[in-house]
Amino acid sequence: MQLSIQPDGPVPIYQQIRDQVVEAIATADLPAGAGLPSTRQLAVDLGINFHTVNKSYDLLRQEGLLRIGRKSGAVAARDAASGPPRPGWEQDWAGRLRTLLAEAAAQGLPADDIISRCEAVVAQFAFPAVPAAASTAGTRL
Amino acid sequence: MTPAILTGYVVVPLFGALMCTAPAVTRPTLQFGVRVPAARAGEPVIARQRRAYRWRTAAVAACATAAVIALRGHGSWWLPRIILLLEVTADVGCFRLAHKKITAVKAAESWFAGLRQTMAADTSWRTRPQPFPVRWLIPAVTVIAATAITGAARYPYLPSHLTALGGRSVPRSPVSAFALVIGQLYVTGVGTGLLVLVYRSRPDIDAADPAGSLRRYRTLLATYARAALTLLALVDVTLLLAALQLWRVCQPSGAHTALMLVPAGAGVLILITAAIRAGRQRAQLADRQQRPGPPTVSDRDDDRFWKAGLLYVNRDDPAIVVATRFSVGWTLNLGTPAAWLVIAAIIAAAAGLALLRITAGL
Repeated sequence: MQLSIQPDGPVPIYQQIRDQVVEAIATADLPAGAGLPSTRQLAVDLGINFHTVNKSYDLLRQEGLLRIGRKSGAVAARDAASGPPRPGWEQDWAGRLRTLLAEAAAQGLPADDIISRCEAVVAQFAFPAVPAAASTAGTRL
Repeated sequence: MTPAILTGYVVVPLFGALMCTAPAVTRPTLQFGVRVPAARAGEPVIARQRRAYRWRTAAVAACATAAVIALRGHGSWWLPRIILLLEVTADVGCFRLAHKKITAVKAAESWFAGLRQTMAADTSWRTRPQPFPVRWLIPAVTVIAATAITGAARYPYLPSHLTALGGRSVPRSPVSAFALVIGQLYVTGVGTGLLVLVYRSRPDIDAADPAGSLRRYRTLLATYARAALTLLALVDVTLLLAALQLWRVCQPSGAHTALMLVPAGAGVLILITAAIRAGRQRAQLADRQQRPGPPTVSDRDDDRFWKAGLLYVNRDDPAIVVATRFSVGWTLNLGTPAAWLVIAAIIAAAAGLALLRITAGL
């Protein structure tokens, strides 16, 4: 997995790291169980303060996406194939999504454009294959 | 061959040649210690300064070598060293001149305007770390072991006074007899320790092509490490040959003294050749793999952390070792206390060796 941080950008560095790890999990670049460098190693590789990386890892841990063990180090705790999200998460996410889409509508982006962009982004993510038995079950019934 | 002749006839022209060819093995986005966006690597000022630097350093090397030859037989052992010091100062001056000219044009034309300055990392560097070439350490360890065993076997038969390399007579003691084995352990220990630090440090990654540049860095590091470990083994062989003379296994003669330096010299040449080859290959591949059109992503302009374009001082960067900006190699981040600890440890070990030498009367 590759991380590209813009230190002079408007988004805080810890948020950039967090966002890119989330995207890597969604695109299966970082599947569940895959390791990440330790906070100290990643801080050295990016040339940033170790507390900044610690903050992003802590955020990811709170979101249930990262597991940090003494022996195993930082490991992706889940991915798209790990089942549904925890209760209450979807409602929170829907609120943030609404604001994000509202920004596009407020800026005058046509509805078709917004939907096609959403589809293009979702197409980049890796979703677990639907089992053949489950997909054909409806036709048999 | 005395150290003075070695400095005069070998080190002075060799150093001059290395300084002259250094820009050819440096990353195209780092010109004379100045960070340059990939799209600006072909700017006329850079081509002009590279040409001028080549001529200036070639002239410095020619003058220094001519001075060494002309002053042969005059002065003392220190004369070639003074000439070498003057050569180093003049070469650094040439580097600074090119550095200043490029920095001035870069600032005047705002080369980084409109570019997204990025710091890139590839997590595979840590999750699939480059294995340290331990097998290449075996020759050095074998040579040290062979030296120690030979010394132990010879020790009971050694006379009460030994003839040191300078011709002085020193009383026999475990320290005076095994001083060269301690020297081997020091050289191999410090060399391997620094190499391990490099393996654990940050790779030299290009933000516009992280995966490709990491691949190239892995190749460069593997080549460099193998050459460096070969150099350590060959330096140990030189020390073994010196020890054989000290222990009177072979009689000292002019030819033997000159022969002793051949392995270490060969090791230096192997390391230089490997570094130049690996550096050139990396620079050429980086050139070839540049995407068409102006890139929007660039490495971060971190010139302010490089003092005189050569010394890295960044308190906010936790890295101890970083890739050097000129030629191929690594340097310490003088902004971290850990780097000063490394320097202190090396100096302390060297001081310990010197003290040991004095107490042994060598």
